[in-house]
Amino acid sequence: MSASDDQADVQKVLAGDIAAFENIVRRWQGPLVNLAYRFCRDRGRAEEMAQEAFLRAYRALGSWRADAAFSTWLFALATNSYRSELRRFPPKMFAIEDVAEPGDPRVVDPLRLAEDRDRAVRQAVFTLPPKYREALTLFYFHEMDVSAAARSLGLPEGTVKARLSRGRELLRSKLPQLLAELNWKEA
Amino acid sequence: MKDQEFDRILSHETDLVPSSGFAATVMDAVRNEACAPPPIPFPWARALPGIAAGVFALVYLFIGVFRQAGSVADSPSSIDRFFSSLVPAFRAAQMMGAGWILAALVLTYLCVKLSFLFARRNS
Repeated sequence: MSASDDQADVQKVLAGDIAAFENIVRRWQGPLVNLAYRFCRDRGRAEEMAQEAFLRAYRALGSWRADAAFSTWLFALATNSYRSELRRFPPKMFAIEDVAEPGDPRVVDPLRLAEDRDRAVRQAVFTLPPKYREALTLFYFHEMDVSAAARSLGLPEGTVKARLSRGRELLRSKLPQLLAELNWKEA
Repeated sequence: MKDQEFDRILSHETDLVPSSGFAATVMDAVRNEACAPPPIPFPWARALPGIAAGVFALVYLFIGVFRQAGSVADSPSSIDRFFSSLVPAFRAAQMMGAGWILAALVLTYLCVKLSFLFARRNS
């Protein structure tokens, strides 16, 4: 992916060559679908949300200023679209009791236990209030880059750092119950 | 659990591969969007006289009410006279069927809110 490819394709689309938008879609479909999936944890819905984000991007293509990276603009637009979509139709929330899957206590597989725990932690993020969940989602999606997460959310870096910290605290407070269930499984 | 442990778990997500027809579906939607006629602009030129008349009437009404309230408040038995000065306004509202209009507005609002609520529950 190169910035000049994006710029060239955007100029073509703005000049009336709609087919050039397909290059943009093919370049960015993976990241946008994955970002949507992290917001809703539902593959079908993630693709619908990503499609809507691409449509919004197409409509707003003229507002992209080439002084900012196309990816920054696209992620901010997609994040905004996903947040408003999930505000209108919230994703299915997991109760903390539902997070850990019951396993067969007779079978103790350390690898499986670790996988279960990791999956449980990921799903536990979903039990957080939206503002902390969004900060955590964007932070890890952008490979732990606070400034990229802040740009996508349209918030100051300090606010994102505070939300990350508070989000982790909340996650930590919710986990003992979850880990106790896992210990029960391990026993 | 330490922050490093969260970082390790949450930064390792399996990447989804979009379904094979995804790009084609998006492009179909984009082409439909491009073919669609542009949205009809709001007819400001036609609406402006009506809006201006409405604003003028509201301002005129407010000025009248404040003037009346001010002159009534200065007099000795102010509270009684203030409320009695509102009686003609209530009568006028009654004649215009303001109660029914208000009831219809409340009912419409409730219908819209309920339909949104049901749509959210069913999604």
